[in-house]
Amino acid sequence: MSDNHKVIGRSVPRIDGPDKVTGAAKYTGDLKFPNMLYGKILTSPYAHARIVSIDTSAAEALPGVKAVITHKDVPELKYGLSPARWDENIFCIDKVRFVGDKVAAVACVDEETCYKAMKLIKVEYEELPAVLDFRHAMDEGQPLVHEEYARNINTEIHQEFGDVEKALAKAHHVRTDVFVGQRTYQTPIEPHSSISMWEGDKLTIYASTQSPHYFQYYIAREFGMPMGDVRIIKPYLGGGFGGKLEPTGLEFAGAVLAKRTGRPVRTFYDRAEMFAHNRGRHAQYMEITTGVDKEGKILAAKANFIMDGGAYTSLGIASAYYAGALLPMTYEFDNYKFDMFRVYTNLPACGAQRGHGAPQPKYAFESHLDNVAADLGIDPMDIRLKNARRPDTVTPNDFQVNSCKMKECLERAREISGWDEKKKNLPHGRGIGVATGSFVTGAGYPIYRTDLPHAAAFIKVHEDGTAATLYTGSVDIGQGSDTILCQMAAEAMGYRYEQMKIVAADTEITPLDFGAYASRQTYMSGAAVKQAGEEVKKQLLEMAATMLSLPADDLDCAEGLIFSKSRPGKTVTFEEVARKHFVLKGPLLGRGAYTPPRLGGTFKGAAVGTSPAYSFGAQVGEVSIDKETGEITVVGIWDVHDCGKVINPRLLHGQVHGALYMGMGESVWEEVLFDDKGRIKNAELANYRLLTAMDMPPIQSEVVDSIEPTGPWGVKEIGEGSTNPTLGMFSNAIFDAMGVRVNSLPLTYEKVWRALKEKREQEEAAKA
Amino acid sequence: MYMPDFDYHAPQSLAEACGLLAELGNKATVLAGGTDVLHKMKVGKLAPEHLVSLKNLDELRQIRHEAGRGIVMGALTSHNTIYTSKLLQERYLSLPMAAHTMASNQICNMGTVGGNIVNGVPSADLPPILIALGASIRLVSTKGERTMPLEDFFHGAAETVIAPGELLADITIPDQATTGSTYMKFGLRRSGALAVVGVAVSVRVAGGVLEDARIVLASAAPTVMRAKGAEDFLRGKKISDELLAEAGEKAAGESRPRDSIRGSAEYRRNLVGVLTKRALRKAIDEGHV
Repeated sequence: MSDNHKVIGRSVPRIDGPDKVTGAAKYTGDLKFPNMLYGKILTSPYAHARIVSIDTSAAEALPGVKAVITHKDVPELKYGLSPARWDENIFCIDKVRFVGDKVAAVACVDEETCYKAMKLIKVEYEELPAVLDFRHAMDEGQPLVHEEYARNINTEIHQEFGDVEKALAKAHHVRTDVFVGQRTYQTPIEPHSSISMWEGDKLTIYASTQSPHYFQYYIAREFGMPMGDVRIIKPYLGGGFGGKLEPTGLEFAGAVLAKRTGRPVRTFYDRAEMFAHNRGRHAQYMEITTGVDKEGKILAAKANFIMDGGAYTSLGIASAYYAGALLPMTYEFDNYKFDMFRVYTNLPACGAQRGHGAPQPKYAFESHLDNVAADLGIDPMDIRLKNARRPDTVTPNDFQVNSCKMKECLERAREISGWDEKKKNLPHGRGIGVATGSFVTGAGYPIYRTDLPHAAAFIKVHEDGTAATLYTGSVDIGQGSDTILCQMAAEAMGYRYEQMKIVAADTEITPLDFGAYASRQTYMSGAAVKQAGEEVKKQLLEMAATMLSLPADDLDCAEGLIFSKSRPGKTVTFEEVARKHFVLKGPLLGRGAYTPPRLGGTFKGAAVGTSPAYSFGAQVGEVSIDKETGEITVVGIWDVHDCGKVINPRLLHGQVHGALYMGMGESVWEEVLFDDKGRIKNAELANYRLLTAMDMPPIQSEVVDSIEPTGPWGVKEIGEGSTNPTLGMFSNAIFDAMGVRVNSLPLTYEKVWRALKEKREQEEAAKA
Repeated sequence: MYMPDFDYHAPQSLAEACGLLAELGNKATVLAGGTDVLHKMKVGKLAPEHLVSLKNLDELRQIRHEAGRGIVMGALTSHNTIYTSKLLQERYLSLPMAAHTMASNQICNMGTVGGNIVNGVPSADLPPILIALGASIRLVSTKGERTMPLEDFFHGAAETVIAPGELLADITIPDQATTGSTYMKFGLRRSGALAVVGVAVSVRVAGGVLEDARIVLASAAPTVMRAKGAEDFLRGKKISDELLAEAGEKAAGESRPRDSIRGSAEYRRNLVGVLTKRALRKAIDEGHV
């Protein structure tokens, strides 16, 4: 597509690239302050136990220990991220609810003393029976994780749109399948860390967070402080994927320890503690029923899910709603029923992980759809094309879809993967599978109730015009938003990317932005940045009009040069005009803010899943199975996305590769495992099997031409939605390769081997 | 995750190291590459009062060929040194390849062949191929030294015959009558994976007949083990796919794997069969690879 953009649409180098590749980038854990203390949180060794007593005297007596705190030293106010269920205390008061629940904290002169001090804190526990199997958490007689939640039900959802039973009764074919998803963990490379310090009544926290704003809001609320007295700064951050969206306890404990000692305190998790804190993907039981007509058109779908929430709510209410809300997105059908129980167990809490709530249900639905296609003898690609969502449609749960190139994504994936040829010719043991995905481009509503805009931005042009600084509350967690937003600012101003500077994610300096979650920043932060840039440009053109004695509407500005549209050759540089503006009118500033329109229906939970725009994508993968061992070799992946206008192609494909990497891990390799006492068996990177570069297959990532009418320059999301097809794609490719389906994640080599063995034994038994 | 306190010693010679170990007895732990010891100390599985580091003993860091004896490899030889050794690559590429595939580059730079042996875990990648090649080891102490076949060194899960005060000095691979050898490891990802099962074999082939074979299994029993029943079955037989498959089944039958988070006993037993068959075929067809 040809357009006149000079800065967006180009793979400019990352603005943080040199710092990161030279090691100059400082992450929270790298920062040091004079007199800084080290803080650690003591956690529970039991999955469920009553706290009988806590004796901190021996720890306090250890030289080098500056403070020891327990629940008695902190506010009792419960917190959480989802206001519907605030159920966490900074430290446990009467009982612990999982192995890793927070009991006390220490601040010491060095890290070593922290570990010694923690060993000296004597906590007497009375062990209680624990709920470890979420499938039975609601059974009669099970212990209660929280006394106030009967049958351990944390969240219950029952939604119906249209008339499912009537539609199923009329269907040509009705099928039900059950799938089980596993618990995975985001595993960001950078461990969670925070440094807290006080100046009088003002609290400053450096934190590895995806949302300085939510941190600021919740910390102010917890300590009864005005938000203006809480400053959150996000230094460079090494990945979050949803796991760093909410306060972790490190910040609360650190703030109290810093207050106690009058010194900066750094609190942090090690790798095992990160796994214990968790907030990763929920394990989930998923029963799916659909009814289709003779051609495979879906008439109705029914989803009946149970989620393992772990011990606290975290973001899990949203995860639970998302699980159902996004199911009717890539395929059109009118009748839809969604039932969900999110239950408490005595395991670490689950929350938001890339693709929030959607990937596992998508895995179940896509696997199920292939089973339906097989029943009817329809090609998996054809059944998807038949049902593919069209643009300008509304889902049964009232989500307005504008741009949508679902069909084009499928067709292009079919073409570049050689689908038709492979479908005919691949031998047994080789298989090809397809799945689709979709995701919100930012949530339609904030996490807590507020009428504040979702994003805002300032641009300051420096006095001599040789640089411009973008001030944004948006959060670069590695995905490249600082780069993209500088490209957008330069484009809107008619300036050069190379002269952009950025100050981001500091609640005292940068304007409000809700942060890096729900795949929102390119669209929402970008909308605010575009507005700010346009305001700069308008003022520049007015000043240039005076300087050139031409009407402002005859002028435009691109790449730092202001020119007359009617008289070629009449130009003046951005720098000259900016300087003149500063001399005559004062600072040249631009401001922008973005608030989404009112979205969605009025039923209970209607807000979750609303978004101003939705991405779509199709993914094809080819696998080869070693029939004797079940080992899976990924031959190739073909990824095609409708993500609207692309601002930076290289960063976009980086997001697709990263999402695929995580999705592949969740499909076959990753699972958090527990023993019968609720302790994690693989809270380390040897046995929690993240893939390595050696495991990555050849990937072809493409986009289809698409413009989202509501987005700045037509953008939509890519970062999270591109995770959604992968689990289902693997399930279907493996099914195609062996003719037998594994119904639970991860689709390990051993499960594949076992499925083949059982199939062979059944065939032999049938012969005999 | 923090190191308990300990006293640190870095002797300048093998004799000094032996003296220190004799003096400190079971209060001391030997530190070679540190990839096992430091990890165990950090997770609280090991808390020695003294660490005796061998880092200054360059005499234990060499690979050389001695006429009449074979290839002698110092115990401190790192996995990457083994991998890049021209001498080993030319004679028995199977050993460099086993060292290369055992772990990530960082671990291969730190970890040593001696540590991989003395640690005694059944999933260690080097003992199987070394045993397949008939390697022997030399243990030294202030009381003298003893030499034994490597396969006699292990006698249970993480249990070896090493006595307090003894150090593994070097490993000797005798000049071979074998015509081929290889180590096949089944891991759950392409790099940085522990062996779910590993199978090392060596073969002596003449005129389409398998005159002799050794089959050594990793992660298939509480300790590294030879599948002697399968070896006996193969000896002197004419090579065929059916023969190798049957040998695999026999090796699987002899193996005594357990359930773990990396795989069930049943799955592991199956893998022993498959890998034995494949490793034999590879060593027969391709030599020392």
